[in-house]
Amino acid sequence: MRILDLAYILGLGAGLGLASAHWAVSARPAIGKVEVGSWAAWPGSGNRDIDPYMRAFLSRGVHLPLGAGEGLELIAQRSDGGEPLDARCRYRISGATPPTRGWTLGATDASGASFSPVLARAGFSDAELVRGEDGAISIVAAASPQAGNWLPLPLHGRFQLRLRLYDTPISSQTGETQAANLPRITRVDCR
Amino acid sequence: MSAADPSAQPVTAAPGRRHGRLRAGAARLAMTTLAGLLLAGIVHIATVLLIPTLSQHDAAHAYGALGAAGRAELVTVDGGTAPAVLEAERQAVTAVCAYDLAGGPLRVMARTGTLPLGITLHRRTGGVLYAITDRAAIRGVLEFIVLTEAQHDERVADDEEGETSRELRVISDSERGLVVIRVLAKQASDRPDAEALAAGVQCGPAS
Repeated sequence: MRILDLAYILGLGAGLGLASAHWAVSARPAIGKVEVGSWAAWPGSGNRDIDPYMRAFLSRGVHLPLGAGEGLELIAQRSDGGEPLDARCRYRISGATPPTRGWTLGATDASGASFSPVLARAGFSDAELVRGEDGAISIVAAASPQAGNWLPLPLHGRFQLRLRLYDTPISSQTGETQAANLPRITRVDCR
Repeated sequence: MSAADPSAQPVTAAPGRRHGRLRAGAARLAMTTLAGLLLAGIVHIATVLLIPTLSQHDAAHAYGALGAAGRAELVTVDGGTAPAVLEAERQAVTAVCAYDLAGGPLRVMARTGTLPLGITLHRRTGGVLYAITDRAAIRGVLEFIVLTEAQHDERVADDEEGETSRELRVISDSERGLVVIRVLAKQASDRPDAEALAAGVQCGPAS
């Protein structure tokens, strides 16, 4: 009976321990996540004191995160209404961007891989954008061609938006940033 | 009465014994489950902490041989031999230079241009030790020395008495790591300039 008990303890311990560790580091961890509106950032990933879960997640593949003083990456998986971003819908990305030396906005699949070169354009930089008179940005993300700043999407499937801010003062105070200082993601309609 | 007692005893004692055995079994199951959960917690923590050390698929392994010639090498070129960076920024050019401070300090020197350029030091087991952008460049040159704590102490001891060294010294708590250079190509036409800036970064031994 004692051997059975020991086998049960070892099996439960090793199985549950390994499975929970695999689950915890298979995606970006909830620890260290900062949410501003629809956008999420992990400012600690570019620090000297990176948390163990993010360190383990990043070391499972060839990742080179932005350094804390270099810039900040923000990821959106949902629109401002809370619905997951779906390529069958049209989205308007509008509003302001924080002060930066330069920024890029791109669409990626759920793993963070860019849709380019399948799609003609993978994203916009701040220099490529046509702005309104007030200087605000207005980009339409859709699978079919749109007038103005069109960010192409694949025909179907979930996607993410990634906003990368280079040389920005908000990288050190991401938690204090207000949602109004970041672009809004509004769902226009769906097919 | 005396004849009835012995025959009655097994009937009343059997359920009691069964209950006792059941209670002991449940307690034993609870104790072993608790021990299993405790072990699971230890295995979970140990696994998460060991993954960066044991991983063979991280950037440090993929790019560990780059920059041996004293110049950073591009990793974001389509069709290149180096493994692709995951979650890569398509509009930025990335170059990498691996370092090993066992042979002495490393000098990193970058010429800056009009495109945003950032240099980061990545520890072998994860974490960014240092980040600097081209805004810190002096007369178009960004230059710093990476060294261990012991090498830093040695360098300070070698400094001229009463003179302040002008060189920027960055202490690395790990002997091996990666120097990552990222240049943002804001427009497609900027890409050749961005690649020239990133690939032009020198990373050789500091004299």
